[in-house]
Amino acid sequence: MRSSFIDAVIALSKERPEVFILSGDAGLGVFDQFQRTDPHRFLNMGVAEQNMAGFAAGLAMAGFRVVLYNIIPFVLYRCYEQVRNDICYQRLPVVLTGIGSGVTYAPAGMTHYSVEDLGICRTLPNLTVLSPIDPVEARAAAAFALQATAPVYVRLPKRGEPTFHTHGDIDITLPQVLQVGAEVALLFHGSVAEEVIAAVEALGAEGACPLVIALPLLQPLAEDALVPLLAEMRHVVTVEEHFVGCGLGSLIARLATRHHVGWRLHTLGIADGFIHEIQDCRHLRQRHGISAAGIAATVRRLLGTRAAARRKAV
Amino acid sequence: MSSHDSSGETRRRALEIRRRIIDMAHRSGSAHVGSALSCADILAVLYFEVLRLRPWENRDYFVLSKGHAAMCLYAALDLSGILEPGQADSYFLNDGALPAHLDRFTGRGIEVSAGSLGHGFNVALGLAYGLKLRRSPQAVYALIGDGESQEGSIWEGAMFAPKLGLDNVTVFLDFNNLQGYGRATELCSFEPVADKWRAFGWHAVDVDGHDHEALCDAIAQRSGGRPKMIVARTVKGKGVSFMEDQLVWHYYVVTAELRARAMEELQ
Repeated sequence: MRSSFIDAVIALSKERPEVFILSGDAGLGVFDQFQRTDPHRFLNMGVAEQNMAGFAAGLAMAGFRVVLYNIIPFVLYRCYEQVRNDICYQRLPVVLTGIGSGVTYAPAGMTHYSVEDLGICRTLPNLTVLSPIDPVEARAAAAFALQATAPVYVRLPKRGEPTFHTHGDIDITLPQVLQVGAEVALLFHGSVAEEVIAAVEALGAEGACPLVIALPLLQPLAEDALVPLLAEMRHVVTVEEHFVGCGLGSLIARLATRHHVGWRLHTLGIADGFIHEIQDCRHLRQRHGISAAGIAATVRRLLGTRAAARRKAV
Repeated sequence: MSSHDSSGETRRRALEIRRRIIDMAHRSGSAHVGSALSCADILAVLYFEVLRLRPWENRDYFVLSKGHAAMCLYAALDLSGILEPGQADSYFLNDGALPAHLDRFTGRGIEVSAGSLGHGFNVALGLAYGLKLRRSPQAVYALIGDGESQEGSIWEGAMFAPKLGLDNVTVFLDFNNLQGYGRATELCSFEPVADKWRAFGWHAVDVDGHDHEALCDAIAQRSGGRPKMIVARTVKGKGVSFMEDQLVWHYYVVTAELRARAMEELQ
């Protein structure tokens, strides 16, 4: 997905001479072609994240559309105050591109996981946050980010993710309904998409059909568009490769307190705590209940509860 | 009186900047008066002899990275007619126009929001690089503090800027050797600070930061394609005898009595 995003940025940059890419000594191979064709629009800033974020703000003040690229801890954590003060406080249109969302780098270790970045973004006014599920959304995110007049954070996994959208003409700012369904809605974003879709396929084979909605735009959440979509639901399940306490789950919990909703919320995600287990992404997802099997089991339980309640009423 | 400023105009303006700083500090009851007085000569030289400010859209930039010296910038912008008339009068007051640390949305000429140390410097480098890419003749000046020089971000930028050939950047180090709770030279291995910048590839000059002619000479020096660091040796609280080189004037408040005493000296 990182290549889909960067390739789209580079394609759009042909008509946009003000696009400038900064890499923090990351993205092996991703920028090779661009460095050859546009050497004056690319800088490797080295391992110096504070300087990189402040420098990006300055370049933006000079009229450049800066795309800053690094793995997520080095986009948001190491240089949080530069992102806050220099970019967001000054409302400069820098595109913060973070790679390695959730535990996609497992078993690289906790230093390289990003399971709290959305929580951090919620402390940053002026920042728009996008978490695409597939290459189609990644390309749409690139187009959106290069048009924005304020900073944008794009949360990406790594590479090789499958495509789920059937066509490329999507509005990235809206909830993406991937399957119309009843009783239970699955809301999700980002790198856990392959697990969600596999779960939905397994449930479909059993005749179960939940409503499936991807939410690539997480900040600001498109509440007005989302609430009506969920109106007939009994249960809403959020799924994310992120701490549930400060990610999509908590966003939807907050939404539920502001609207009269008739559904119950169930949040799936990474449990609070540092991850010490040496397991790859697939195994960590299983452990935290966000594998395809875990997600399907949750939906089955909720549908079963409903069926049991019906039987009891009869 | 220096030869470049034969009428003493810049010196009078530096004095007026100091008077306005004392007034602002007194009216608002805010801190950092010593920090603001420390760099008054540098800002007087910049705003009245160096910066090209017309047309405004093609101006040179000045970035005050040690944002806690905001009163000095506000005074210089006020005296230059860049701020709205009367804007500086409500500094740091409820519903006022200007905060204690810089917010670029509050006034004309406040180029970069700054207050936390180790930020404006790096923004200035990016801005200078952007101007260079655009082949603009606009120059970027920035001012950092000696306490600020303990931030890692300063040295990240120091290591990076020479590679880019940023000869359109001039950075002043306001080296008054008094930070919040001590002397920079005692808190860490600070000296030889000019040599440190030279070792990083900068053209570094060591001058008396209150000597206008020396400052002008340093600014005019050719840097051989390198970014320039002017280590300006200054005195915190400069111009008011009872504030000079006194640690407490990082935080003390200017009472009516102290204001009167300071104004007597700033004639």
